[in-house]
Amino acid sequence: MIMIEDVHFAYDGIYTALQGVSLQIEKGECVAIMGTNGAGKTTLVKHMNGLLRPQHGRVIVDGADAKNLSIAELSRIVGLVWQNPDHQLFLDSVRKEIEFGLKNLGFTPEETDAQCTQTLKNLGLEGLAERSPFALSGGERKRVALATVLATEPQVLALDEPTIGQDAQQKELLARMLMDLNDRGRTVIVVTHDIEFVIEHFPRTIAMAEGRIVADGSTSSVLSNEDVLERCSLTLPQLTVAARALHKAFPQVSERLTLLSELEDAVSGILGGTQ
Amino acid sequence: MMSFLEVFQYTRQDSAVHNLDPRSKMMLAFTLAVISLLFLNIIPLMIILMAMLPLLAAAKSLRRWARSMKGMSYLLLFIIIFNTLLSTVSNPFSHSIALAIRLLALMTSFSIFFLTVHPDQLAQALIQMRVRFEFAFAMSMAMRYVPTLGQEAYAIMDAQKARGVELDKGNVLKRIRNIVPIIVPLIIVSIRRALSVAESMESRGFGASENRTYMELLRFRRRDWAVLFVSILLLVGSIYTRLFVTLPIWMLFQLPF
Repeated sequence: MIMIEDVHFAYDGIYTALQGVSLQIEKGECVAIMGTNGAGKTTLVKHMNGLLRPQHGRVIVDGADAKNLSIAELSRIVGLVWQNPDHQLFLDSVRKEIEFGLKNLGFTPEETDAQCTQTLKNLGLEGLAERSPFALSGGERKRVALATVLATEPQVLALDEPTIGQDAQQKELLARMLMDLNDRGRTVIVVTHDIEFVIEHFPRTIAMAEGRIVADGSTSSVLSNEDVLERCSLTLPQLTVAARALHKAFPQVSERLTLLSELEDAVSGILGGTQ
Repeated sequence: MMSFLEVFQYTRQDSAVHNLDPRSKMMLAFTLAVISLLFLNIIPLMIILMAMLPLLAAAKSLRRWARSMKGMSYLLLFIIIFNTLLSTVSNPFSHSIALAIRLLALMTSFSIFFLTVHPDQLAQALIQMRVRFEFAFAMSMAMRYVPTLGQEAYAIMDAQKARGVELDKGNVLKRIRNIVPIIVPLIIVSIRRALSVAESMESRGFGASENRTYMELLRFRRRDWAVLFVSILLLVGSIYTRLFVTLPIWMLFQLPF
């Protein structure tokens, strides 16, 4: 679906943000991109819809070289949800805000109307449809920003720090919605520092540091690699810490546990199967 | 696109110009700007502009300046074309070239100040010139937020481009309309930030005491007096020249069209 080949990018030619990044994301995958601040995560994602063009290397989106497509064309395939919703909201109602992107990207008025209503419903924003985005709370604005992108039904959805400022319930809602989209064949890419969110929902993790990919593979293997965790300044989730402690005392427990259910099984195994 | 603003942005350097007192630099920049406004002939303006280049070199900012001016070139071209077409003077092209050089000279004179004066220094200079602390502080805050605003503008442009706003396509009318999705978020974000900055300042006791004292005071040294003196001399000299002296013919040179 997305293929990035040896992409280099430097802002103003001095500071190197990406130095030779290659990766491939298949259709229908669920991928998390993690790494320190300034590792090049957002820069990488911006290459996927043409906001940035590689200074070296290639970006292939849906089989076509991205350099031949405009940002608007790429945005119909790869929808980007930004970290700060205030950077895009400017109209006086939530509904208009959602319609704006649809019209720009060439949806017919009927499609626009239908998509808009459907998205408002999916995100539980019906009650806010006629409200001004500026009068909403931070979390609500974030959901409106998400809605503006979801409405265009991109095949790939890339989200930059979607969990910041969301309470546990909203986070759960967001996760469920993303998984639902994924079940319907959409590719989901998320840039985040939220290690728990990644472990629970994303089977594949790409770890970045200093403009390079340092690890790419199953979330459990990437996030149990000490070296990677240190280079990306990630702290181990408590679950993994617990698993390691258990592993020391009971070698039969794997030290690579990442799911609560796995830990439960391990503990009940030690206790002799008694629940 | 916005790179010409870089020339008004403070850069940390260790140079003779950076180490001057901001008040003497203020006078210097003011003098240079006034001189650029006094004359409207190509030769005198070129002389003024050329005279500023060694100052920029001394401030180790020549390259930065050159890059910004390259960013300005479209605007300059625009000014030259429109002035040539619309001007009613006898040598419109020559006149508009002079106007373009004047703009460059004006920008350069102010850039010598803003490139080398840290916002905090500016505030301190104003305070010591008996400007009220609140105003001085507001001024330095405004300067400090210029680059932040620039970054924000870029982020907003990116966000809107991803929603299908094509900033560099369409006719003039469409392009003007396209500014709305950029400007509105920029204003909203700025207001939100202003409010939160105000709150955080108040929570840290801004304005709690009537009489503020300052840890670092600016002091005029001999070289500052020298710059101030030369600036005033130049200012008086060029005003006198403009009013009472007829410039030699070669200085009044105009292009034939």
